Amino acid sequence: MSTKDKPYGVLAEFDNPADLMDAASAVNKAGYKQFDTHSPFPIHGMDDAMGLKPSKLGWIVLVHGLIGLMGGVALQVWSMDIAYPVHISGKPYLNFPAFVPVTFALVILLSAFGTFFGLFKMNKLPRLHNPLFNSDRIAKATDDSFFISIQATDPIFAEKKTIEFLKEIGATHTEIIPES
Amino acid sequence: MDHHHTTLSDRLTFPEENRIATGFFAAGIIGIILSLIGLVVNTEQFFFSYLTSFAFIASLVLGALFFVMVQHVTRSSWSVVIRRIPETISFQLIWLGLLFIPILFGMEFLYEWTRPERIATDELTQHKLPYLNTPFFIIRNVIYFAVWGYLGYRLYKNSIAMDLQTEVAVLDKKQRILSAPGLLVFAFTVSFASFDWLMSMDSHWFSTMFGVYYFAMSFQTILAVVILLVLYLFRKGLLTNTIKKAHMHDLGAFLFGFTVFYAYIAFSQFLLIYYANIPEETLWYYYRFDGSWIFLAYLFLIGRFAIPFFLLLNRKAKTNYKLMMGVSIWIIMLQFAEMFWIVMPILHKGAISVHWLDISLLLAFFGISAGLFFRQFGKHSMIPKNDPLLSESLNKH
Repeated sequence: MSTKDKPYGVLAEFDNPADLMDAASAVNKAGYKQFDTHSPFPIHGMDDAMGLKPSKLGWIVLVHGLIGLMGGVALQVWSMDIAYPVHISGKPYLNFPAFVPVTFALVILLSAFGTFFGLFKMNKLPRLHNPLFNSDRIAKATDDSFFISIQATDPIFAEKKTIEFLKEIGATHTEIIPES
Repeated sequence: MDHHHTTLSDRLTFPEENRIATGFFAAGIIGIILSLIGLVVNTEQFFFSYLTSFAFIASLVLGALFFVMVQHVTRSSWSVVIRRIPETISFQLIWLGLLFIPILFGMEFLYEWTRPERIATDELTQHKLPYLNTPFFIIRNVIYFAVWGYLGYRLYKNSIAMDLQTEVAVLDKKQRILSAPGLLVFAFTVSFASFDWLMSMDSHWFSTMFGVYYFAMSFQTILAVVILLVLYLFRKGLLTNTIKKAHMHDLGAFLFGFTVFYAYIAFSQFLLIYYANIPEETLWYYYRFDGSWIFLAYLFLIGRFAIPFFLLLNRKAKTNYKLMMGVSIWIIMLQFAEMFWIVMPILHKGAISVHWLDISLLLAFFGISAGLFFRQFGKHSMIPKNDPLLSESLNKH
């Protein structure tokens, strides 16, 4: 492990979910923005402790849904009334009740695309390797241990100070994660 | 840790000095007196108005029964702190059968299939007589009210019994054993009851979706009622530490979801009939779109679906109590309007016509039902305090 290169960040280990929650809260209060918590199970209230803002995903989905809505209406108005007007059991060409199922389905389809690709982008996928896996201990995050990682790209990140700070707030073990 | 409240810190009984039940009873009695005058003055109008208000109140108590049974079957922990409210509402099902009795005296006005001169000339109705005849109608309704009354009574009494003892596992299991077949029986009885009460007014018309249509309306409305009752308790400073924003958010999400469900069912019923365009099916909508009645139909599309949909879409909206109160009151009002729209075009063809009996009977039904609810609600703890899932519910985030 070479520490000459700029590190990816630091990883700190905590004993239990309560300590992790308190630590996350302290890291947030200290002003760090680019940090994450890792635990074997979801911890209620962690979003608030980390100071995470509500996800923007809802807005992405809304925009896609509206595109589906307008696209669906436009598609049917054009095809049923302008391009290929055909009499169907004496009903008007602009037959809006009959347009609803297709429009509805397109809203659902586009919203699903918005959700899937929105999440894909927001989670920075596809990503084949996360530098955190350079640590031997991180695997325990899927078993019995609780971690906070702070990235070196954070504006107030300073290797020694950050490690000291993490120890101060109760980390039982800290390590520097190399970039590759 | 301060994010883990597991104990109850609120008072659990409804304050005795609260006179709201008396107020509702007084309003109800005024409504009854006015309506009795109306019965003499305009008998036909009386029975149509009576059926409108009955179908409205019945939809609320039935929705509450469904809510309670679903929570038991799914062993939901989130809803434990608010469950006593729908439980108390569905307990009122024991009285619903009594309120139905006056309708039996007005059947000749309400149901064309009871009129001999109509049957004699109408072949289609003759074919339906094995089902649509007065004795069988009465037998069916006795069965409905017996089943609902039993379910509402038993679920409430078991829940109250849990308050008084510490060994609750047996009672908790009983609730689930009762609720699972209860839901199945509920589905059949509510469908057929809506066929009998409302759909058979047009003896030619049929829609296999009518039962689920009535259910969709009632479930959307009962969620609005529960939200409104919780907000009333908050206003009185009750249960403010027990029922949290997280619970209100879930109720709001439920209301949002079932607003969409209502629209889906109501529109599907319309679309199938519109598209097939068969005269005996379209006639029901013909009368309800005729003249000024069409305005009510548009009001339901826009006011009962589109507006609540966009108002409740945002996550924060669901815990905006002022907004939730407005939306809930609006949806309850539209539920009454929709019952009015289903029943009244038969009597008043071609134009909306509001009679003072509509108002007085609504006052009578609503006053008595709300009075009975608050009287019962004051008798016991406002939450099921020994429910095994209570601490999980209190810890909800």
